[in-house]
Amino acid sequence: MANYYDIDDIIMEQQLVPVVFQKAVNGVEIDPSAETDYVEAGSKVELPLWLAYELHLKQVVKMKVPACFNHRTKLELGADGAAVDLRSRCLYFYEFGCKIAPLIGDRDMGSFLLSAFRTRYQQILAKAHNAAFTAPSKLLSFLTKEETNLYEAAQSSMAAFKKWRIGGPRFERASVLGRKRKSTD
Amino acid sequence: MAGQTDPSLSIFSGEEVEFMAEDEMVEIVPNMRMDPLNMLCGDFGPFYPQMATQVPLWLAIAMKKRGKCTIRPPEWMSIENLTRILEAERDSQAAFQVLPFHYVEISSLLFEYAPDDIPDIYMVRSLINDIRDVRFHKVETSLESFEEAHSSAVMVKDLSAMEVNLVRPFVGRALQAFYKHGSPELVPNPDGMSARRLQATDNIPRIDWNKFYIAYRLLSHAL
Repeated sequence: MANYYDIDDIIMEQQLVPVVFQKAVNGVEIDPSAETDYVEAGSKVELPLWLAYELHLKQVVKMKVPACFNHRTKLELGADGAAVDLRSRCLYFYEFGCKIAPLIGDRDMGSFLLSAFRTRYQQILAKAHNAAFTAPSKLLSFLTKEETNLYEAAQSSMAAFKKWRIGGPRFERASVLGRKRKSTD
Repeated sequence: MAGQTDPSLSIFSGEEVEFMAEDEMVEIVPNMRMDPLNMLCGDFGPFYPQMATQVPLWLAIAMKKRGKCTIRPPEWMSIENLTRILEAERDSQAAFQVLPFHYVEISSLLFEYAPDDIPDIYMVRSLINDIRDVRFHKVETSLESFEEAHSSAVMVKDLSAMEVNLVRPFVGRALQAFYKHGSPELVPNPDGMSARRLQATDNIPRIDWNKFYIAYRLLSHAL
Protein backbone atom coordinates (compact mmCIF):
# COMPACT_ATOMS: atom_id res chain seq x y z
CA MET A 1 0.00 0.00 0.00
CA ALA A 2 1.09 3.53 -0.53
CA ASN A 3 3.29 5.23 1.96
CA TYR A 4 1.47 7.34 4.56
CA TYR A 5 3.68 10.31 3.75
CA ASP A 6 3.45 9.86 0.00
CA ILE A 7 2.42 13.27 -1.31
CA ASP A 8 0.95 11.79 -4.47
CA ASP A 9 -1.25 9.54 -2.41
CA ILE A 10 -2.43 12.49 -0.35
CA ILE A 11 -3.24 14.59 -3.39
CA MET A 12 -4.96 11.65 -4.99
CA GLU A 13 -7.34 11.43 -2.06
CA GLN A 14 -8.47 14.98 -2.77
CA GLN A 15 -10.21 13.82 -5.94
CA LEU A 16 -13.91 14.56 -5.82
CA VAL A 17 -16.32 11.67 -5.84
CA PRO A 18 -20.05 12.13 -6.46
CA VAL A 19 -22.01 10.69 -3.55
CA VAL A 20 -25.65 10.38 -2.60
CA PHE A 21 -26.60 10.81 1.03
CA GLN A 22 -28.49 7.80 2.31
CA LYS A 23 -29.49 9.40 5.57
CA ALA A 24 -30.51 12.88 6.54
CA VAL A 25 -27.67 14.56 8.36
CA ASN A 26 -27.95 17.41 10.78
CA GLY A 27 -25.40 20.08 11.57
CA VAL A 28 -23.17 19.87 8.51
CA GLU A 29 -22.39 22.71 6.20
CA ILE A 30 -21.30 21.36 2.85
CA ASP A 31 -22.61 24.21 0.77
CA PRO A 32 -22.00 27.61 2.39
CA SER A 33 -24.84 29.16 0.42
CA ALA A 34 -27.41 26.73 1.80
CA GLU A 35 -30.02 28.19 4.10
CA THR A 36 -29.99 25.41 6.63
CA ASP A 37 -27.22 23.27 8.08
CA TYR A 38 -29.16 20.19 7.17
CA VAL A 39 -28.60 17.68 4.38
CA GLU A 40 -31.59 15.70 3.22
CA ALA A 41 -31.46 12.05 2.39
CA GLY A 42 -31.03 11.53 -1.34
CA SER A 43 -29.16 14.74 -2.03
CA LYS A 44 -26.25 14.49 -4.44
CA VAL A 45 -22.96 16.08 -3.41
CA GLU A 46 -19.36 15.84 -4.53
CA LEU A 47 -16.97 15.05 -1.70
CA PRO A 48 -13.23 14.39 -1.66
CA LEU A 49 -12.34 10.73 -1.52
CA TRP A 50 -10.97 10.75 2.01
CA LEU A 51 -14.24 12.12 3.36
CA ALA A 52 -16.47 10.07 1.11
CA TYR A 53 -14.57 6.96 2.17
CA GLU A 54 -15.19 7.54 5.87
CA LEU A 55 -18.86 8.32 5.31
CA HIS A 56 -19.12 5.29 3.09
CA LEU A 57 -17.84 3.10 5.93
CA LYS A 58 -20.58 4.47 8.18
CA GLN A 59 -23.07 3.85 5.36
CA VAL A 60 -24.12 7.47 5.37
CA VAL A 61 -23.40 7.99 1.68
CA LYS A 62 -23.37 5.84 -1.40
CA MET A 63 -20.64 6.47 -3.96
CA LYS A 64 -21.31 6.96 -7.64
CA VAL A 65 -18.91 6.40 -10.49
CA PRO A 66 -16.68 9.48 -10.86
CA ALA A 67 -16.69 11.34 -14.13
CA CYS A 68 -13.28 10.12 -15.21
CA PHE A 69 -14.47 6.51 -15.21
CA ASN A 70 -17.71 7.06 -17.07
CA HIS A 71 -18.82 5.11 -20.05
CA ARG A 72 -17.49 7.57 -22.59
CA THR A 73 -13.97 7.48 -21.21
CA LYS A 74 -14.05 3.71 -21.25
CA LEU A 75 -15.10 3.72 -24.88
CA GLU A 76 -12.42 6.23 -25.82
CA LEU A 77 -9.72 4.27 -24.03
CA GLY A 78 -10.92 1.12 -25.72
CA ALA A 79 -10.75 2.75 -29.13
CA ASP A 80 -7.34 4.39 -28.97
CA GLY A 81 -5.91 4.37 -25.50
CA ALA A 82 -2.70 6.14 -26.36
CA ALA A 83 -4.40 9.26 -27.71
CA VAL A 84 -6.69 9.95 -24.76
CA ASP A 85 -5.82 12.91 -22.62
CA LEU A 86 -5.99 11.33 -19.19
CA ARG A 87 -4.05 14.10 -17.53
CA SER A 88 -6.92 16.54 -17.80
CA ARG A 89 -9.49 13.99 -16.63
CA CYS A 90 -7.63 12.78 -13.60
CA LEU A 91 -3.95 13.22 -12.87
CA TYR A 92 -3.96 10.12 -10.67
CA PHE A 93 -6.14 8.03 -12.93
CA TYR A 94 -4.78 4.60 -12.03
CA GLU A 95 -4.30 5.12 -8.31
CA PHE A 96 -7.73 6.68 -8.03
CA GLY A 97 -9.23 3.81 -10.00
CA CYS A 98 -7.60 1.22 -7.77
CA LYS A 99 -8.87 2.96 -4.65
CA ILE A 100 -12.38 3.53 -5.81
CA ALA A 101 -13.08 0.25 -7.57
CA PRO A 102 -14.03 -1.72 -4.44
CA LEU A 103 -16.06 1.21 -3.09
CA ILE A 104 -18.31 1.58 -6.08
CA GLY A 105 -18.40 -2.17 -6.64
CA ASP A 106 -16.95 -2.05 -10.13
CA ARG A 107 -15.70 -5.53 -10.93
CA ASP A 108 -14.28 -4.62 -14.31
CA MET A 109 -12.18 -1.74 -13.07
CA GLY A 110 -9.04 -3.82 -12.60
CA SER A 111 -9.02 -5.26 -16.07
CA PHE A 112 -10.08 -1.93 -17.53
CA LEU A 113 -7.17 -0.11 -15.88
CA LEU A 114 -4.78 -2.86 -16.90
CA SER A 115 -5.81 -2.79 -20.55
CA ALA A 116 -5.66 1.01 -20.59
CA PHE A 117 -2.22 0.96 -19.09
CA ARG A 118 -1.09 -1.70 -21.55
CA THR A 119 -1.93 0.29 -24.64
CA ARG A 120 -0.48 3.45 -23.21
CA TYR A 121 2.62 1.66 -21.95
CA GLN A 122 3.52 0.70 -25.49
CA GLN A 123 3.31 4.30 -26.59
CA ILE A 124 5.48 5.47 -23.71
CA LEU A 125 8.03 2.75 -24.38
CA ALA A 126 8.32 3.75 -28.01
CA LYS A 127 8.80 7.42 -27.21
CA ALA A 128 10.69 7.39 -23.95
CA HIS A 129 13.98 5.86 -24.99
CA ASN A 130 14.18 7.58 -28.35
CA ALA A 131 13.04 11.12 -27.91
CA ALA A 132 15.85 12.05 -25.56
CA PHE A 133 17.00 15.64 -25.84
CA THR A 134 14.05 16.77 -27.89
CA ALA A 135 11.43 19.23 -26.82
CA PRO A 136 8.80 17.77 -24.51
CA SER A 137 6.45 15.99 -26.83
CA LYS A 138 2.73 16.28 -27.05
CA LEU A 139 2.51 12.85 -25.53
CA LEU A 140 3.74 14.15 -22.22
CA SER A 141 0.74 16.44 -21.84
CA PHE A 142 -1.58 13.43 -22.01
CA LEU A 143 0.12 11.30 -19.40
CA THR A 144 -1.00 10.77 -15.86
CA LYS A 145 1.37 11.20 -12.97
CA GLU A 146 2.38 7.57 -12.91
CA GLU A 147 3.00 7.45 -16.65
CA THR A 148 5.01 10.64 -16.46
CA ASN A 149 7.21 9.06 -13.80
CA LEU A 150 7.76 6.12 -16.09
CA TYR A 151 8.61 8.35 -19.01
CA GLU A 152 11.00 10.44 -16.99
CA ALA A 153 12.72 7.40 -15.54
CA ALA A 154 13.52 6.20 -19.03
CA GLN A 155 14.58 9.64 -20.21
CA SER A 156 16.90 10.23 -17.30
CA SER A 157 18.62 6.89 -17.67
CA MET A 158 19.14 7.56 -21.38
CA ALA A 159 20.51 11.00 -20.61
CA ALA A 160 22.83 9.59 -17.93
CA PHE A 161 24.13 7.01 -20.37
CA LYS A 162 24.82 9.62 -23.04
CA LYS A 163 26.59 11.76 -20.51
CA TRP A 164 28.76 8.85 -19.48
CA ARG A 165 29.57 7.97 -23.07
CA ILE A 166 30.57 11.46 -24.04
CA GLY A 167 32.67 11.61 -20.93
CA GLY A 168 34.09 14.79 -19.56
CA PRO A 169 36.33 15.78 -16.73
CA ARG A 170 36.68 12.64 -14.66
CA PHE A 171 37.83 14.45 -11.59
CA GLU A 172 36.40 17.77 -10.67
CA ARG A 173 38.65 20.17 -8.94
CA ALA A 174 37.30 21.23 -5.59
CA SER A 175 36.55 24.92 -5.61
CA VAL A 176 38.75 25.58 -2.59
CA LEU A 177 41.85 24.20 -4.25
CA GLY A 178 42.25 26.68 -7.03
CA ARG A 179 41.86 29.73 -4.87
CA LYS A 180 44.78 31.95 -4.23
CA ARG A 181 45.70 32.55 -0.67
CA LYS A 182 44.70 35.91 0.59
CA SER A 183 47.30 38.07 2.16
CA THR A 184 46.37 38.31 5.78
CA ASP A 185 48.13 41.38 7.01
CA MET B 1 24.89 1.95 -3.46
CA ALA B 2 23.74 4.64 -5.78
CA GLY B 3 22.25 7.51 -3.90
CA GLN B 4 18.88 8.01 -5.52
CA THR B 5 15.79 9.53 -4.01
CA ASP B 6 13.71 6.41 -4.49
CA PRO B 7 15.60 3.50 -2.95
CA SER B 8 13.29 0.85 -4.37
CA LEU B 9 14.27 1.79 -7.90
CA SER B 10 17.93 2.53 -7.37
CA ILE B 11 19.97 2.77 -10.51
CA PHE B 12 23.68 2.81 -10.98
CA SER B 13 25.23 5.70 -12.80
CA GLY B 14 27.35 5.00 -15.83
CA GLU B 15 30.46 5.72 -13.79
CA GLU B 16 29.50 3.13 -11.19
CA VAL B 17 28.93 0.44 -13.78
CA GLU B 18 32.27 1.36 -15.29
CA PHE B 19 33.88 1.03 -11.88
CA MET B 20 32.55 -2.52 -11.56
CA ALA B 21 33.77 -3.35 -15.04
CA GLU B 22 37.30 -2.43 -14.02
CA ASP B 23 37.55 -5.69 -12.08
CA GLU B 24 37.53 -7.70 -15.29
CA MET B 25 40.85 -9.30 -16.14
CA VAL B 26 42.88 -8.27 -19.18
CA GLU B 27 46.21 -9.37 -20.52
CA ILE B 28 49.09 -6.93 -20.43
CA VAL B 29 52.66 -7.05 -21.63
CA PRO B 30 54.84 -5.14 -19.16
CA ASN B 31 58.01 -3.46 -20.24
CA MET B 32 59.66 -3.38 -16.83
CA ARG B 33 60.51 -5.77 -14.04
CA MET B 34 58.50 -5.61 -10.86
CA ASP B 35 57.82 -7.82 -7.85
CA PRO B 36 54.37 -9.33 -7.42
CA LEU B 37 51.69 -6.99 -6.15
CA ASN B 38 49.80 -8.42 -3.19
CA MET B 39 46.41 -6.78 -3.14
CA LEU B 40 43.30 -7.50 -1.15
CA CYS B 41 41.63 -8.72 -4.33
CA GLY B 42 44.47 -11.05 -5.23
CA ASP B 43 48.13 -11.28 -6.16
CA PHE B 44 49.27 -10.02 -9.52
CA GLY B 45 52.60 -10.45 -11.17
CA PRO B 46 55.55 -10.83 -10.93
CA PHE B 47 56.12 -8.67 -13.96
CA TYR B 48 58.91 -9.32 -16.44
CA PRO B 49 59.51 -7.38 -19.65
CA GLN B 50 57.74 -8.91 -22.67
CA MET B 51 56.06 -11.61 -20.56
CA ALA B 52 52.30 -11.41 -20.83
CA THR B 53 50.34 -11.58 -17.58
CA GLN B 54 46.76 -11.18 -16.38
CA VAL B 55 45.76 -8.19 -14.27
CA PRO B 56 42.47 -6.40 -13.55
CA LEU B 57 41.57 -3.62 -15.91
CA TRP B 58 42.07 -0.89 -13.31
CA LEU B 59 45.64 -2.00 -12.72
CA ALA B 60 46.27 -2.31 -16.44
CA ILE B 61 45.04 1.25 -16.96
CA ALA B 62 47.13 2.55 -14.09
CA MET B 63 50.25 0.93 -15.53
CA LYS B 64 49.39 2.00 -19.06
CA LYS B 65 49.08 5.61 -17.95
CA ARG B 66 52.61 5.45 -16.59
CA GLY B 67 53.89 3.84 -19.78
CA LYS B 68 54.81 0.58 -18.04
CA CYS B 69 52.92 -1.84 -20.27
CA THR B 70 50.87 -2.39 -23.38
CA ILE B 71 47.38 -3.83 -23.09
CA ARG B 72 46.41 -6.73 -25.31
CA PRO B 73 42.87 -6.18 -26.50
CA PRO B 74 40.61 -9.09 -25.56
CA GLU B 75 39.92 -11.72 -28.18
CA TRP B 76 36.31 -10.71 -28.70
CA MET B 77 37.46 -7.25 -29.77
CA SER B 78 38.84 -8.46 -33.07
CA ILE B 79 37.27 -7.15 -36.25
CA GLU B 80 36.32 -10.63 -37.50
CA ASN B 81 34.55 -11.54 -34.28
CA LEU B 82 32.73 -8.22 -34.01
CA THR B 83 31.60 -8.36 -37.63
CA ARG B 84 30.27 -11.84 -37.06
CA ILE B 85 28.42 -10.74 -33.91
CA LEU B 86 26.94 -7.70 -35.61
CA GLU B 87 25.62 -9.83 -38.46
CA ALA B 88 24.17 -12.38 -36.08
CA GLU B 89 22.53 -9.62 -34.02
CA ARG B 90 20.92 -8.23 -37.14
CA ASP B 91 19.78 -11.63 -38.34
CA SER B 92 17.86 -12.83 -35.33
CA GLN B 93 15.31 -10.61 -33.71
CA ALA B 94 14.95 -12.64 -30.55
CA ALA B 95 18.31 -13.93 -29.43
CA PHE B 96 21.18 -11.83 -28.17
CA GLN B 97 24.72 -12.84 -28.96
CA VAL B 98 27.01 -13.75 -26.10
CA LEU B 99 29.34 -10.90 -25.33
CA PRO B 100 31.21 -10.13 -22.12
CA PHE B 101 28.90 -8.76 -19.46
CA HIS B 102 30.80 -5.47 -19.41
CA TYR B 103 31.62 -5.15 -23.10
CA VAL B 104 30.38 -1.55 -23.36
CA GLU B 105 32.48 -0.35 -20.46
CA ILE B 106 35.60 -2.39 -21.23
CA SER B 107 35.70 -1.24 -24.82
CA SER B 108 35.09 2.36 -23.89
CA LEU B 109 37.86 2.27 -21.27
CA LEU B 110 40.29 0.69 -23.70
CA PHE B 111 39.46 3.24 -26.40
CA GLU B 112 40.14 6.01 -23.97
CA TYR B 113 43.34 4.82 -22.30
CA ALA B 114 44.95 2.44 -24.74
CA PRO B 115 44.00 3.60 -28.23
CA ASP B 116 47.47 2.76 -29.57
CA ASP B 117 47.19 -0.89 -28.48
CA ILE B 118 44.05 -1.65 -30.49
CA PRO B 119 44.60 -2.39 -34.17
CA ASP B 120 42.09 -0.71 -36.49
CA ILE B 121 40.60 1.26 -33.65
CA TYR B 122 38.14 3.22 -35.81
CA MET B 123 36.69 0.09 -37.28
CA VAL B 124 36.44 -1.62 -33.90
CA ARG B 125 34.86 1.42 -32.33
CA SER B 126 32.21 1.79 -34.98
CA LEU B 127 31.46 -1.95 -34.92
CA ILE B 128 30.92 -1.87 -31.17
CA ASN B 129 28.72 1.21 -31.47
CA ASP B 130 26.66 -0.52 -34.13
CA ILE B 131 26.32 -3.66 -32.05
CA ARG B 132 25.22 -1.63 -29.08
CA ASP B 133 22.59 0.24 -31.08
CA VAL B 134 21.21 -2.91 -32.67
CA ARG B 135 21.05 -4.64 -29.31
CA PHE B 136 19.34 -1.75 -27.61
CA HIS B 137 16.73 -1.60 -30.30
CA LYS B 138 16.12 -5.30 -29.74
CA VAL B 139 15.75 -4.72 -26.02
CA GLU B 140 13.03 -2.19 -26.72
CA THR B 141 11.26 -4.53 -29.10
CA SER B 142 11.28 -7.35 -26.60
CA LEU B 143 9.97 -5.04 -23.88
CA GLU B 144 7.10 -4.22 -26.17
CA SER B 145 6.21 -7.86 -26.48
CA PHE B 146 6.06 -8.46 -22.76
CA GLU B 147 2.89 -6.55 -22.23
CA GLU B 148 1.15 -8.47 -24.99
CA ALA B 149 1.71 -11.73 -23.21
CA HIS B 150 -0.66 -12.32 -20.34
CA SER B 151 2.05 -13.36 -17.99
CA SER B 152 3.61 -9.90 -17.69
CA ALA B 153 7.04 -11.38 -17.94
CA VAL B 154 9.70 -11.23 -20.57
CA MET B 155 12.68 -13.41 -21.21
CA VAL B 156 15.73 -11.50 -22.36
CA LYS B 157 18.94 -13.45 -22.17
CA ASP B 158 22.55 -12.33 -22.38
CA LEU B 159 22.02 -8.67 -21.73
CA SER B 160 25.06 -6.70 -20.72
CA ALA B 161 25.49 -4.62 -17.60
CA MET B 162 25.06 -1.28 -19.31
CA GLU B 163 21.97 -2.37 -21.20
CA VAL B 164 20.34 -3.70 -18.05
CA ASN B 165 21.22 -0.52 -16.26
CA LEU B 166 19.66 1.57 -19.01
CA VAL B 167 16.25 -0.03 -18.88
CA ARG B 168 16.18 -0.82 -15.17
CA PRO B 169 14.30 2.26 -13.90
CA PHE B 170 11.74 2.06 -16.66
CA VAL B 171 11.15 -1.68 -16.43
CA GLY B 172 11.06 -1.65 -12.66
CA ARG B 173 8.34 0.95 -12.62
CA ALA B 174 6.42 -0.63 -15.44
CA LEU B 175 6.43 -4.02 -13.73
CA GLN B 176 5.23 -2.46 -10.51
CA ALA B 177 2.40 -0.78 -12.35
CA PHE B 178 1.42 -3.96 -14.14
CA TYR B 179 1.50 -5.81 -10.87
CA LYS B 180 -0.64 -3.23 -9.15
CA HIS B 181 -3.30 -3.12 -11.83
CA GLY B 182 -3.34 -6.82 -12.47
CA SER B 183 -3.51 -7.83 -8.82
CA PRO B 184 -6.60 -9.65 -7.58
CA GLU B 185 -7.53 -7.11 -4.93
CA LEU B 186 -9.31 -5.00 -7.52
CA VAL B 187 -12.10 -7.53 -7.71
CA PRO B 188 -14.39 -6.50 -4.89
CA ASN B 189 -15.81 -8.74 -2.26
CA PRO B 190 -19.60 -8.96 -2.53
CA ASP B 191 -20.46 -8.97 1.19
CA GLY B 192 -19.61 -5.45 2.19
CA MET B 193 -16.03 -6.22 3.16
CA SER B 194 -14.71 -3.94 0.50
CA ALA B 195 -13.69 -1.29 2.96
CA ARG B 196 -11.49 -3.59 4.93
CA ARG B 197 -9.98 -5.00 1.79
CA LEU B 198 -8.91 -1.56 0.81
CA GLN B 199 -6.63 -1.39 3.81
CA ALA B 200 -5.51 -4.98 3.83
CA THR B 201 -4.00 -5.09 0.39
CA ASP B 202 -0.61 -6.07 1.73
CA ASN B 203 -1.99 -9.37 3.00
CA ILE B 204 -3.52 -10.43 -0.30
CA PRO B 205 -1.91 -13.62 -1.58
CA ARG B 206 0.50 -12.54 -4.23
CA ILE B 207 -0.57 -14.72 -7.06
CA ASP B 208 1.24 -13.02 -9.86
CA TRP B 209 4.10 -11.72 -7.84
CA ASN B 210 6.46 -14.59 -8.54
CA LYS B 211 6.41 -13.94 -12.22
CA PHE B 212 7.11 -10.29 -11.70
CA TYR B 213 9.80 -11.04 -9.25
CA ILE B 214 11.53 -13.48 -11.56
CA ALA B 215 11.39 -11.03 -14.40
CA TYR B 216 12.72 -8.30 -12.18
CA ARG B 217 15.51 -10.47 -10.85
CA LEU B 218 16.48 -11.47 -14.33
CA LEU B 219 16.93 -7.86 -15.16
CA SER B 220 18.79 -7.06 -11.97
CA HIS B 221 21.03 -10.05 -12.47
CA ALA B 222 24.52 -9.66 -11.11
CA LEU B 223 24.23 -6.02 -10.23
